[in-house]
Amino acid sequence: MTNSIPEFEDADCVLITGSNTSEAHPLISTRIMRAKAKGAKIVVVDPRTTQMSLLANLHLKQQPGSDVAWINGMMNVIINEGLADDVFIEKRTEGFDELKAAVAEFTPEYVEEISGIPAYDLVAAAKMYAEADAASIVYSMGITQHITGVDNVLSCANLAMLTGNMGRPSTGVNPLRGQNNVQGACDMGGLPNVYPGYQKVSDPDIQAKFEKAWGIRTENGGRKTGSGLLSPVTGLSDKVGLTVTEMVELAGSGEVKTLYIMGENPLMADADINHAKKCLKNLDFLVVQDIFLTETAEIADVVLPGASFAEKDGTFTATDRRVQLVNQAIEPVGESKADWEIINMLAKEMGASGFDFSSPEEIMAEIAALTPIYGGYSYERLKNGNVLQWPCPDAEHPGTPYLHKDKFSRGLGKFHGIEYKAPAESADDDYPLTLTTGRIMFHFHTGTMSRRAEKLNKEVPEAYVEIHPEDAIKVGINGHKRVTVSSRRGEIELATRVTDRIKPGVVFIPFHFAEAAANALTNSAFDPVAKIPEYKVCAVKIQTTADPVLEVCNESYKSKN
Amino acid sequence: MITEIRDKVAEQLEKLDGIVALRSTEDGAAPYLFQQGDNLEELVMNPRYPLSKTASKLQKRFKDAKLGVVARGCDVRALVEMAKRNQIDPDRLVVIGVTCTSEEAEFCFCAEPAPNLDQWSGSTLIGEPVPGAPPNPIVAEYAQIPYAERWAFWKAQFTKCHKCFGCRDICPVCFCEACALEDPLWVEPGLLAPDFPMYHLIKAQHMTTRCVGCRQCEMACPADIPLTVLYDLVRQDVAELIGYVPGADINEMPPFTLTLADAAIESDLVY
Amino acid sequence: MDYKNIQTICPYCGCGCALNLEVIDGEIVGVLPANDHPVSQGSLCIKGWNAHAFVGHEDRLKKPLIRKNGQLEEVSWNEALKLVAKNLGSIQKKHGADSIGVLTSAKCTNEENYLLQKFARAVIGTNNVDHCARL
Repeated sequence: MTNSIPEFEDADCVLITGSNTSEAHPLISTRIMRAKAKGAKIVVVDPRTTQMSLLANLHLKQQPGSDVAWINGMMNVIINEGLADDVFIEKRTEGFDELKAAVAEFTPEYVEEISGIPAYDLVAAAKMYAEADAASIVYSMGITQHITGVDNVLSCANLAMLTGNMGRPSTGVNPLRGQNNVQGACDMGGLPNVYPGYQKVSDPDIQAKFEKAWGIRTENGGRKTGSGLLSPVTGLSDKVGLTVTEMVELAGSGEVKTLYIMGENPLMADADINHAKKCLKNLDFLVVQDIFLTETAEIADVVLPGASFAEKDGTFTATDRRVQLVNQAIEPVGESKADWEIINMLAKEMGASGFDFSSPEEIMAEIAALTPIYGGYSYERLKNGNVLQWPCPDAEHPGTPYLHKDKFSRGLGKFHGIEYKAPAESADDDYPLTLTTGRIMFHFHTGTMSRRAEKLNKEVPEAYVEIHPEDAIKVGINGHKRVTVSSRRGEIELATRVTDRIKPGVVFIPFHFAEAAANALTNSAFDPVAKIPEYKVCAVKIQTTADPVLEVCNESYKSKN
Repeated sequence: MITEIRDKVAEQLEKLDGIVALRSTEDGAAPYLFQQGDNLEELVMNPRYPLSKTASKLQKRFKDAKLGVVARGCDVRALVEMAKRNQIDPDRLVVIGVTCTSEEAEFCFCAEPAPNLDQWSGSTLIGEPVPGAPPNPIVAEYAQIPYAERWAFWKAQFTKCHKCFGCRDICPVCFCEACALEDPLWVEPGLLAPDFPMYHLIKAQHMTTRCVGCRQCEMACPADIPLTVLYDLVRQDVAELIGYVPGADINEMPPFTLTLADAAIESDLVY
Repeated sequence: MDYKNIQTICPYCGCGCALNLEVIDGEIVGVLPANDHPVSQGSLCIKGWNAHAFVGHEDRLKKPLIRKNGQLEEVSWNEALKLVAKNLGSIQKKHGADSIGVLTSAKCTNEENYLLQKFARAVIGTNNVDHCARL
């Protein structure tokens, strides 16, 4: 997030898209609702009616995958109505002409054809956003999980810059990260192209810095340690590594032989999981470190029991770059161990030096020394209740509540003219409905944790598909009948919820349920840059399945008559 | 006053096995069971938590322990209601009562900011009692709204509900293991916002003979729903119609059979 | 007889709400909100209020497992770590470091993520490091 969670309260307009905020990020929706109570305008753009959209001033229901079109359309209106922030564009940005040319054809009427959003609603939304003093954009995976994920994000940035809604409190572009430490995992270099703090692996100076710090090259030459188990690393690789989607694919083709997976469950989370499972089964060796025997752990060669959040110290980084202490409440269950201890032990087993940490606090000291944006963090500071949002480069730095205050990281903000591209797969005669996936309030991600929480699972114990009454009639569903939903990649059987909360022609399935995994259906076509799969759009068909209870009744009825 | 409280706790710890109070450390402030040897400099009076529930949990877990609790007026009223429902054994609990200040009373619109310890043997009162604060003016304003509009008002409020159950979980007198709010017979599970009006009216109805006016539910509500306006109103009605005031008299049983059924569910404590 | 609250951060979404884990004699018995936290301000959602529920679940893995004759069997830490070290080493030697991939975790701490990417880059020698941020 460019800005902080508490800042939402003081926004004059919040534009929410691709985020079911009140269910997926409830305590952020609290702040947005407070802004509304103070008079802010709330605009929701989402194919589904959500709690947030019911409370919003305006709800636009777009066709899934049409985000570039409606955002371009809003910018078209803003430019034509003279609502652009000319001073901000002049002083802080470049490439405006390119943007202006790109959005020229996206008139509200043309956008209505692509997105299904009524032209007058689009104009109203554009005005609400552009006329506000401080307007904030909130998005989540509904923007990123498309083959045009990067285009969608750039479009949001275009819109914010066009109206000068950057670098001030309660403005900005605010992606809500879905997992408690997904921000931290990125910050810590859990990415194929960067070391901790987004320092590029391809930069020779950065490479040299880490080689020195990690003892790979010493003053007098190469590395000295090693057990002979493996070839010692004599220099850090400057080659950008593989993303998770590529690793899975190359596991299938045999180029990747081994995966070491810590606390992730790709066999539920990946798109097209039937294919992913085939790929992972082809590995020579699969190690999974987790707290439960997840769907992925079930096919592993070695499973290492990790400790849960309640059983260890450390830090998590929240979606607004806020680094916070995690404190151990109880001893690890059974013989499980904190993940940092396991890695320490494994590295030592392999004869590696530099893994002698006796506490997470010591690891944080090394992180701070090597990661400029985390340079000012220490457990000492965090313990005193300081709210420290990165960048926090030194021990005196107070942290950064909002980014891009006087300049962008690259200097001038660059407008990108973005063309609209249709989703990889559209509904057709064979698969006439568009499936979109997402979360619900009562469960979390692949369900590993929430489905084992009695009170959460009691609220929603099974998977369901949301379908509009018009479509339900066409398919022949009445009441809570079970159905089979199939795509070109797989099929699942699940319950139905007939509701006008969803757009006609679109169906929604939460992805938390292993026994009816939505990702058996989703399309693994991905964004060429971010390599993010298109979870939010694929084509499916629905057939009613036999109802076992009804069948028994019918049988007994027949036999008696 | 805090020094006086700490001194009293130190004195009582020589006779008791432990005392429930708030402890503040570098990680934050929360309920804690103080025992001999603990640093009493860490004992504080803010923020507020449902200490009656902590005391109840500990009494059930440690059946022979003689415990104490540092309690404000509302905490003591909650202890009274919990005792009536067999969730607190008053004979095994020593109360160190602490008066609230006028400012605190005004903040909570509290009519009875000093704990009433008449019915708690071995208890002590610390601080000078201050008079009750005037009631929440919003309650009177609300009473002017025509009935037809009240429905729309509450519907708009409850449409914001996240169904976190926080109003129940933080409530110092909610304890049932089988909660009607989780019973599919009354409230359809898995919906957001939860069914209107069932979810909230069941909660309000259960509050009629229980609510001690601590206002923790409203502070815990992530949707900023003015729950205490509703509960103040139902309490007023019950006081007028039945003459029952929750938390006032440990010997006066709650008037609704509903709560007697609750007591039967968890009756492992006998007094 | 021991009762305390440990303030920590919710394991669910990215809001980063603080919560208190109520601990009696080394067992987590409940959750209380954290009143002084800048984001959660004494509130939680239903997931936060139930953040402790999975921790003590009977399905928790309690010992390392190794697949033997097609079945996962409980083994000692020593045996499991030795096998992982041996196999990672031999695959790295035979097929090169880039034949190995590592997934760090959006559920683990910063320190753990740091350590695992350091392990991948400095010990194995590959930048094949990613996690489910996209998924």
